[in-house]
Amino acid sequence: WGCPQDCPVPRGADLSPLSFPPTVTSEQIEHLHRRFKQLSRDQLTIRKENFDSIPDLEFNPIRGKIVHAFFDKRNLRQESDGLVDEINFEDFLTIMSYFRPIEMNMDEEQLDRFRKEKLKFLFHMYDSDHDGKITLQEYRNVVEELLSGNPHLEKDSARSIADGAMLEAASICVGQMGPDQVYEGITFEDFLKMWQGIDIETKMHVRFLNMETIAHCY
Amino acid sequence: GERRGAMQPPAASPGPAASAGAELLRWQWREVQAPCLVAAWILVASLAKIVFHLSRKVTSVVPESCLLILLGLGLGGIVLAVAKKAEYQLEPNMFFLFLLPPIVLDSGYFMPSRLFFDNIGAILTYAVVGTLWNSFTTGAALWGLHQAGLMADPGIEAGLMDFLLFGSLISAVDPVAVLAVFEEVHVNETLFIIVFGESLLNDAVTVVLYKVFNSFVEQGPAHIHATDYMKGVASFFLVSLGGTAVGLLFAFLLALITRFTKRVRIIEPLFVFLLAYIAYLAAEMVSLSSILAVTFCGICCKKYVEANISQKSRTTVKYTMKTLASSSETIIFMFLGISAVDTSKWAWDTALVLGTLFFILLFRAVGVVLQTYVLNRFRLIPLDRIDQVVMSYGGLRGAVAFALVILLDGAKVKAKDYFVATTIVVVFFTVIVQGLTIKPLVTWLKVKRSDHHKPTLNEELHEHAFDHILAAVEDIVGHHGYHYWRDKWEQFDKKYLSQLLMRKSAYRLRDEIWDVYYKLNIRDAISFVDQGGHVLSAAKLALPSMPSRTSMSESSVTNLLRESGSGACLDLQVIDTVRSRRDKEDAAMHHVLRGSLYKPRRRYKASYSRHFISPDKQERQDKEIFRQNMKRRLETFKSTKHNVCSSKSKARLKEKGRKKASAPQPPPLDTLNGKTHRNVPWQEAAPVLVMVSSEEEESDSSETEREDDEGIVFIARATDEVLQGKTTPVPLTTPTSASPGSLDVCPSPCIIPPSPTLAEKELPWKGDQADLAVYVSSETTKIVPVDMQKAWNQSISSLESIASPPGTESGPQHRRFACPVLEEQPQSASQVMSEQSSCFQFPSHVSKSGRSQSDSSPDGMEQQELQPLMATEEPGRMLPATEQRWLMFNRASHL
Repeated sequence: WGCPQDCPVPRGADLSPLSFPPTVTSEQIEHLHRRFKQLSRDQLTIRKENFDSIPDLEFNPIRGKIVHAFFDKRNLRQESDGLVDEINFEDFLTIMSYFRPIEMNMDEEQLDRFRKEKLKFLFHMYDSDHDGKITLQEYRNVVEELLSGNPHLEKDSARSIADGAMLEAASICVGQMGPDQVYEGITFEDFLKMWQGIDIETKMHVRFLNMETIAHCY
Repeated sequence: GERRGAMQPPAASPGPAASAGAELLRWQWREVQAPCLVAAWILVASLAKIVFHLSRKVTSVVPESCLLILLGLGLGGIVLAVAKKAEYQLEPNMFFLFLLPPIVLDSGYFMPSRLFFDNIGAILTYAVVGTLWNSFTTGAALWGLHQAGLMADPGIEAGLMDFLLFGSLISAVDPVAVLAVFEEVHVNETLFIIVFGESLLNDAVTVVLYKVFNSFVEQGPAHIHATDYMKGVASFFLVSLGGTAVGLLFAFLLALITRFTKRVRIIEPLFVFLLAYIAYLAAEMVSLSSILAVTFCGICCKKYVEANISQKSRTTVKYTMKTLASSSETIIFMFLGISAVDTSKWAWDTALVLGTLFFILLFRAVGVVLQTYVLNRFRLIPLDRIDQVVMSYGGLRGAVAFALVILLDGAKVKAKDYFVATTIVVVFFTVIVQGLTIKPLVTWLKVKRSDHHKPTLNEELHEHAFDHILAAVEDIVGHHGYHYWRDKWEQFDKKYLSQLLMRKSAYRLRDEIWDVYYKLNIRDAISFVDQGGHVLSAAKLALPSMPSRTSMSESSVTNLLRESGSGACLDLQVIDTVRSRRDKEDAAMHHVLRGSLYKPRRRYKASYSRHFISPDKQERQDKEIFRQNMKRRLETFKSTKHNVCSSKSKARLKEKGRKKASAPQPPPLDTLNGKTHRNVPWQEAAPVLVMVSSEEEESDSSETEREDDEGIVFIARATDEVLQGKTTPVPLTTPTSASPGSLDVCPSPCIIPPSPTLAEKELPWKGDQADLAVYVSSETTKIVPVDMQKAWNQSISSLESIASPPGTESGPQHRRFACPVLEEQPQSASQVMSEQSSCFQFPSHVSKSGRSQSDSSPDGMEQQELQPLMATEEPGRMLPATEQRWLMFNRASHL
């Protein structure tokens, strides 16, 4: 386990149909591994508390959700649902692989998968009760957290914004609803619809994984 | 003022004193000549624009800049033919001092700053490295051409320095030309910002190179020392960073000043223009890059300035800026055309012209490819080949090059005339040929276009979430990348800069998410007012299941209602004491009407005109109105979302409808209802809650008489939760809940009868107050924050007097039936009548009376929300006459 090169493949990478070949280089993995050890204080796993030691994270309004995402089994490509208490380096890499940048040589299908992967991650972050739907309440929570950085916006505003967003989502996803129809929440399909036309793949990525994409580690 | 003639001070005209006594009228052309010519030229250019745009075919193919240049050529030819000499010309001084600043300010101020800074690396690379590369290679290649003896004309006396000088001025991509062409092409925003940003930022490089080479040429190659080169390099940093610093300084000042303009709103826009212009002049004065100064001034001040100044000032700034920039651009292109006619400045050399054209195209392409290759190793979103083609091809040259070449000193730069001619050809070629072909090229290459979708709230929310997520991930992996620094900057900005530069009140609401929300609301509200249905269909925010206003035969129903209102009143009046089948039918009809009619448009209009006209309150009002608007739609949505109409109630409604249909047509109103009814299947309208406003009681005349008109005030749909007294945070309300009437009701006691059907049968306005089943729903409290209610009520009450026609003032004010104002997607006619649309009026007295109550009403707290629901248990309580009543029917299934 000590050698990062031995275990670069995110678990389940080849199990999930949506998975993609990880293109993280050994160099990056080493870097990440160093960081991982730093965070975990040389333990094999990271627990939630470890993230508290990152000072810059403190001001992040949605840090709770982000940290949560690291321990979300759905994001870790595990079959079961729920949360894990601790993640090992593999899991850490798996999460990080969501933030890989797009690659030049990706074909349409890969791009589509890539995009879905990223959106799934985001979706799971919003869907805090794991029921496959972002309900109004969940959405409100997110918006409230997002706006919590601004002390001048009251909760009411956050609420109405979330409501407005939800309304918008419903109109995008369902179109006209019959009077009896109930829009319970944003499903992943709806989520995809909402993201149509927005290049998430060009947005949700972080530089650290783009240093070099030559060596594919399997 | 760019004509030579205009520059001359009015020559000695006959002194007014000389003949003042004798003349009634006096020809004073000379005194007004200069401004008159300026005005005339601008007028000509503007009229020409109108003419161009008469034909959409032409403008969709030919960029306006081309047309203007051609027009200029034509006008120049006419002037030449008439005056026998080229009279007018684009003067460099005029260009740099008056024509260029508005364009640069406009582009800086309205630069999408986020996009700009996201791509700042690429932009800077292309602007600095690219321009340097272009200058040197073009200059050197032309020199090589000259050395090779390919330039036929022996008159070209130019050394390497001359060619490098020429290369520096000819190689800079021109912001005016790029903007003019790319604005019509609509390539994707990243591509646009890179090309455009480059054209703005390369000014520093151009200025420095131009000055350095100019001084070299003037000194003569022999006197150039190594230190001069070093100075050149140093001056680049000085000019660019200095220009930027000047811009930032003035941006800071500007933001600070606008923080204190609260009482002098009217001159707010002036400050924006003045300070930006002073920044430009200041930079020019110390020979720093003035374009950079204005660009950065615009980019950086915008956030704070926009927050500080009033909405009107914002609009003023926007329009003035656009007007100025647009007219500047027009004049520039037209005078480029006119100037070209002046053959006295031309000296043609085919080899030089063709060589220049070839080299600038070639080296631009090579430069772009090389730089992109390097950049793509760092960029997260690589620029692909198609992007590179467009970038290479989009390197348009324009008026800046022309002005610079005119500025050359003919005595020192011997080949000036050749350079002028070449520059003119290059500018014409790039603007006309490339401008004409870039659109087909973009189409042919299938360049990713920018989709002009309006910002959606979700998008903004997600983008924000992204920023935080990415920053967090960078934090977690310990990488201090772009997101990390952006995050840091935002924190700094929030903590210090915004506090310092923004008004407290402005800072309060200055949040991007809020901003989008706000804008969407404005848009909705405007489209709400706007009767052209297209806006609505375009609006992404369309409510599900909202009937379209177009499908709703607004003319028929509404107008009929209006026309027949009085007659109906009278007729219904007669029956009002007897509860009969007809009575019930009336009730049913009322409900149908309620369900199918829309909010009175007039009120909205009134509120709008008011909001645009009235200086005070305006800001608050528009905010509240928009919020309200949003709320209303939202509530509709929610009710849709949560409403589970039992089939039973539907069935009952249907039955009634049938009954009603079979009934003999009573008064005109009824007939009308019948019509409506036909259009609207009952199942569509499943109103659960009907709120009846009993304002009439307040009005002096007997209320019963015109009850029918306004009795049908609201249909609210009850969600299961509310009905059952659940504590769902989501209130089930229809748009009506947003109406002031319902707002007012909240605090009042509420009584819900055990059986809704009973309520249905009893027309509240007909029967005695005592046997009315009346309840006041206080859910509404929850829906609309108290302050909003207040503001709303105020605005409504203030509007009342305006909105109501003078004749009806004393009488039933509710008579005003809504013109269907519907912001939603068109639906089939059959759906028109869905219960969500409602017609209601806001009687002023009611809103007034309700205001105080709503003020004290609890807001948003669940307990309080619940109370009214609990109260529903006790039936039969009566409302004070001034209260509005909620009529419930079809509720049985829920209760």
